Amino acid sequence: EGGTSSGVSNQILHTEGGEMEPETMETKSLTEYFSQLHMGSVMGKL
Amino acid sequence: FPIPAVNHIRMEASCLELALEGERLCKMADYHAGVSFFEAAIQVGTEDLQILSAIYSQLGNAYFHLHDYTKALEFHHHDLTLTRTVGDQLGEAKASGNLGNTLKVLGRFDEAVLCCQRHLDIVMDLFDKVGQARALYNFGNVYHAKGKSICWSGAEPGEFPEEVMTALGKAAEYYQANLSIVKDLGDRAAQGRTYGNLGNTHYLLGNFRNAVASHEQRLQIAKEFGDRSAERRANCNLGNAYIFLGEFEVAAEHYKRTLQLARLLKDRAVEAQACYSLGNTYTLLQDYERAIDYHLKHLIIAQELNDRIGEGRACWSLGNAHTALGNHDQAMHFAEKHLEISKETGDRSGELTARM
Repeated sequence: EGGTSSGVSNQILHTEGGEMEPETMETKSLTEYFSQLHMGSVMGKL
Repeated sequence: FPIPAVNHIRMEASCLELALEGERLCKMADYHAGVSFFEAAIQVGTEDLQILSAIYSQLGNAYFHLHDYTKALEFHHHDLTLTRTVGDQLGEAKASGNLGNTLKVLGRFDEAVLCCQRHLDIVMDLFDKVGQARALYNFGNVYHAKGKSICWSGAEPGEFPEEVMTALGKAAEYYQANLSIVKDLGDRAAQGRTYGNLGNTHYLLGNFRNAVASHEQRLQIAKEFGDRSAERRANCNLGNAYIFLGEFEVAAEHYKRTLQLARLLKDRAVEAQACYSLGNTYTLLQDYERAIDYHLKHLIIAQELNDRIGEGRACWSLGNAHTALGNHDQAMHFAEKHLEISKETGDRSGELTARM
């Protein structure tokens, strides 16, 4: 694997280790829950 | 009918309506307004614990996006307690995942690891492959952040203490485990995210060829989705890796693409960073005229953004480039500017360098 090239330091680059991808947060959707509730009540009437 | 029963139905309807509006606003990234509606929904109250769990969870996420991590922690913790109390396994897994992400940002890595493990254990019990992949990605992020939190003391990638390299090694393992699942699932968006972070991990480990390979994958996937922000990130990260491989011309091409995309996305801070990287790359290529051109561009944006530290860096770089070209008056002018800014910002090492 390639080593660091001479004369290059993080002082020159200021990269701070690269740009990260966003975190993936878990979601609990009320819209979906509401649709399920609604479907449940419709199905209950059938 | 007894009146309390009618009131109860009204209360439930009102709580759900408020919460649904909060959800709609958060989907549009209006987190401040979303928080207000969710808080109002909690004030009204509900006896439906699924609704309450969703409100806690979304409030936690809204505060997370607003960078109020203490509040985010509070609501994800409420959600965890609630889901555990009612025995909602999937809900607990999700709450643990969100709590882990929040603890990671707060630098509480050991607690974050426990949350990630709980998230992973539950989704494995439930044979939930998507959940497993997500938990493994979070795990990777925690170890990556842990490694990075210890290592930033001026050392170069690949030359950090053993503790750092161990944490980064674990991060790479979790990202690889995640990749094998998301590839099976055919989830290209998830692959893109993981390749990006795996690339950064290889970079810190000093495995620059592997970093390039991962960031190339990330770049390709970003293009598939037309995701300009991800494309910009990948180009910037590729530029950094090629610098360490000593391939400065290739690095410059990636930084130029980064600059184009930053302009397209109208992100002045990122545009400034790209100009700075290009200035430094042309310095490495000993093309000082071009280096000066980009450092001046950086300086103008830093002044516009009132970024005194950036301005100081630009002056320092301009002083060096002018010295290399034998423009002594210009070199002295920027060295004096650098000294003035270093004094103002309390940058002692900058001040000492400037005096030299």
